[in-house]
Amino acid sequence: MTEQNKHTIYGKDGKPSTDRPWIFRTYAGHTNVWATNTLYKDNLSKGQTGLSIAMDLATQCGYSSDHPIAKPEIGKVGVPINSLDDFHVLFDGIPLEEMNTSMTINGTAMWLLSLYVALAEERGVDVSQLRGTTQNDLIKEYLARGTYIFPPEDSMRLIVDMYEYSLHNIPSWNASNICSYHLQEAGATPVQELAFALVTSITILDAIKERDCFTEEEFERCVGRISFFVNAGMRFVEEVSKMRSFCEMWDEITQERYGVKNAKYRRFRYGVQVNSLGLTAEQPENNAWRILIETLGVTLSRKARCRALQLPAWNEALSLPRPWDQQWSLRIQQILAYETDLLEYPDILEGSVVIESKVKQLKEQAYAEINHVLELGGGVEAVKSGYMKSALVTSQSQRMGRLANGEQIVVGKNKWVEGLESPLVSDSDGGIFMVDAKAAQKTLDALEETKRNRDDTRVKAALTRLEEEAKSDNNLMEASIECAKARVTTGEWSETLRGVFGEYRPPTGVDGQSMSIKEDNASLVSVRKKIDDFIETYGYRPRIVVGKPGLDGHSNGAEMISVAAKHAGFDVIYFGIRLSSVDIVQSALEENVDVIGVSLLSGSHNEIMTQLFEELDKNGAKDAIPVILGGIIPEPDYEGLKEKGVKRIFTPKDFDPMIVMGEIMDVINEQKSK
Amino acid sequence: MSKNLNRFDAMMTPEIKDMVERAKSLEKWPLARLISLFETNTEQAKQARHCVMSSLKDSSKNGLILGITGTPGAGKSSLIGELCLSMLAEKPDLSIAVLAVDPSSQRSGGALLGDRTRTNFPVNDKRLFFRSQASDLDLGGVGKKTYQVTRLLRQLFDIIIIETVGIGQSEIEVEQLSDHTCLVLQPLAGDQVQFMKAGIMEVPNTFIINKCDEDSLAKRSYHLLKTSLKLVNVSLNKNSENSKNIFLTSAIKQKGIAELTHFLLQLESDSSTRKDVQAQEYFYLGKWIQQEFGRFGLTLFKQSENTIFTSQQSYEEKENKLLEIMKEMIPSLSCSR
Repeated sequence: MTEQNKHTIYGKDGKPSTDRPWIFRTYAGHTNVWATNTLYKDNLSKGQTGLSIAMDLATQCGYSSDHPIAKPEIGKVGVPINSLDDFHVLFDGIPLEEMNTSMTINGTAMWLLSLYVALAEERGVDVSQLRGTTQNDLIKEYLARGTYIFPPEDSMRLIVDMYEYSLHNIPSWNASNICSYHLQEAGATPVQELAFALVTSITILDAIKERDCFTEEEFERCVGRISFFVNAGMRFVEEVSKMRSFCEMWDEITQERYGVKNAKYRRFRYGVQVNSLGLTAEQPENNAWRILIETLGVTLSRKARCRALQLPAWNEALSLPRPWDQQWSLRIQQILAYETDLLEYPDILEGSVVIESKVKQLKEQAYAEINHVLELGGGVEAVKSGYMKSALVTSQSQRMGRLANGEQIVVGKNKWVEGLESPLVSDSDGGIFMVDAKAAQKTLDALEETKRNRDDTRVKAALTRLEEEAKSDNNLMEASIECAKARVTTGEWSETLRGVFGEYRPPTGVDGQSMSIKEDNASLVSVRKKIDDFIETYGYRPRIVVGKPGLDGHSNGAEMISVAAKHAGFDVIYFGIRLSSVDIVQSALEENVDVIGVSLLSGSHNEIMTQLFEELDKNGAKDAIPVILGGIIPEPDYEGLKEKGVKRIFTPKDFDPMIVMGEIMDVINEQKSK
Repeated sequence: MSKNLNRFDAMMTPEIKDMVERAKSLEKWPLARLISLFETNTEQAKQARHCVMSSLKDSSKNGLILGITGTPGAGKSSLIGELCLSMLAEKPDLSIAVLAVDPSSQRSGGALLGDRTRTNFPVNDKRLFFRSQASDLDLGGVGKKTYQVTRLLRQLFDIIIIETVGIGQSEIEVEQLSDHTCLVLQPLAGDQVQFMKAGIMEVPNTFIINKCDEDSLAKRSYHLLKTSLKLVNVSLNKNSENSKNIFLTSAIKQKGIAELTHFLLQLESDSSTRKDVQAQEYFYLGKWIQQEFGRFGLTLFKQSENTIFTSQQSYEEKENKLLEIMKEMIPSLSCSR
């Protein structure tokens, strides 16, 4: 055999080899099960091997499509799933035994896995052959994503139930996928991302240990099934160091804390979606370069390379992406993997003094934070006390402050903002993805039909069993699978467990927060002057209520507006997320506010704002309390929203919070002078 | 003086009259707007307050003002939510207002009021009213504005709950404006109780050890608290004048809620639990005059208190009278004010 050199990858046979690329994934699902089934079959015919299923918010939050809170959301950010009948349509013509199916599902993860198992059984597929992942990371839901339902302890029980069931029955299923992705979107620093994600995995593994349902060998396999979903931002040198830290720390934790002997089960397996938070609505074409650079962080280092990658679309800050936008992102991956020589080399960062030192520092800081959280009582306690949430809100406020102060440069946003207009955004459909109203009706009709055709006695018996077992210590998987087969609906399954466990609202993390904007910042000085004048004239401090109607739980925007408003000098009533229009209007009336601030990102703004103004009108307050709206709102919708009564619309372009506050004061003053 | 009164009466605009009528039937928005009048610092609002209070004089209500205080994390908001629902279940014709007071930022003057996220009240139920209030820069957490609003709410609701963060000083303020004060604590661990100052232990009428999800912990906390109350000579004898009560509650396990509900409803129906309104007026007039005119003002107030407290006048009239007296003493005030 010839002598091997250090810049070549050698296979097991000692011959030079190259790596296979990571899995290219597209997160997909919309409108209804028929449209999504067509989309999947189309993607599969193009050579895609895995499915990544996006469900709509009602499905994620445990409501059937006919629930009032679900109606504005049907088919918006994903496919609506009401019963096993829907799953039969969704997977029609798709061989389950050949699929790797990843479901972004959390609060109702057990329900969706039960539907998948029930589908396989009804089709006669051997359940043990199923492969895939349920996201099922509730801690990050409480912290950043908002589709939680039950209290933390009960959620942990459901997660452990799923690990126990999966290991024994579907050994290739990843019962949960621990996400640091959403933490970074919520403002987490690399150290916080490392620490909080690893705390989450420790919390789950500790709970599994405590149940004592596995042999030592089974437990090792179970550790091996834990996978991660990570984020990567613009600071790609730091990001690559973060990924190397993740790998080393996971190896150390699984070995030292859990005694996992087999190195295979200690490997840090992760998928990635790169950062959307840093993408801009200004000069959106620049985002294509940003996405490429973010991709480097998770691909450069062979040792810490992702197993699967999905990229956001260049226009995400403007609207939900269209198929062409997604295709453009897919091309970035294909060019990097197939045109460059990246996959021909071993780890090109191995031995770098700089990277090694950076990794050492990140690890030290992350371990310190992990130990701190564990001393506070672990992941569940740090959710309940609001410690982790509050740390994230602080980081996000600091980031907003840096942008507003110009300390962090974002091209096209706070530097080099002048530029030629992009021909890409003046496209005829304006970059909006529209959901057809008739498609939602089809979903509702199918739900009606399922309810008509099912055996009510069997449904009742299945739900009673679910309720009773929920009150006991039994594993709830079998009872849920029976519910699925009996054609219980998503709403009924969730409602039954809500009745037993109750609903949970985690701490908001906004209490006591402040924004690090310099006291002499011109827009801050200007808005404070406006507020002082207001107090002088009217004898009280202006009052704003901030809340999120609907089911979309991405609360960053609402939190930042609240913290900024307090910093400007408002009295802010923060009402949180997952509210109905009736909730918001009642809070505005009881608090007698000067303005209502609403934040929406799920694309359901038209329907929800209609509901909100109807409710205001019912109470005689439609023209008396002005409403402002923030979020991802496509420009073509502005006019209709303003006709409904919205006074101002703020989008990610409005990054200077104090300019936003100044405009809100203008709206209040316009109202007062009426 | 008579000039002032006339000005007051002229302020009873049809709009305010309408608001008062609708607020009496607990309609949310008119009631909320009236509350704002009691939080507004203008001459006009002051006159309106006088009118509102005189038109509510014959109100049959004399609500119980219940101060609920305690450290952050003790679970006050969730407990209050539970108690409200449980009291309504017991006595369906009851009406309850919750006034949640949170501190204002010393830097910007603004405030983030987040208690609403923690209370799961049903919507469109007139029997329950929730309002957030910023403490302004009053150090005690609750202050003049809170007092003003309780004046109004007392005439409209059976029970008014003031929720505030307790950090030493505010217990004393809350005690001033409440008929009954409860201190909510978490189950106590070891020597934690020893650090509680004697002064603070004397203030609350009732101690609630919340989050007693576990029996043994609850019992231990109960005995720890009892021992430390004895140490600072606070009486636990139920028959004596200054007796203290201790309740153990758990919202999750639904423990102790029924007992506490029963106890609070008894307080509500016992009119002897209400504090003397004049004493409260005296306290807040004194506080106001001291803020405005310092010790000099306070001395003057004490000298003239007999003239001020003789007639059946509203708080606003007393304020004006006091201001007249100040103006007499400091002629330059007449020009500037």
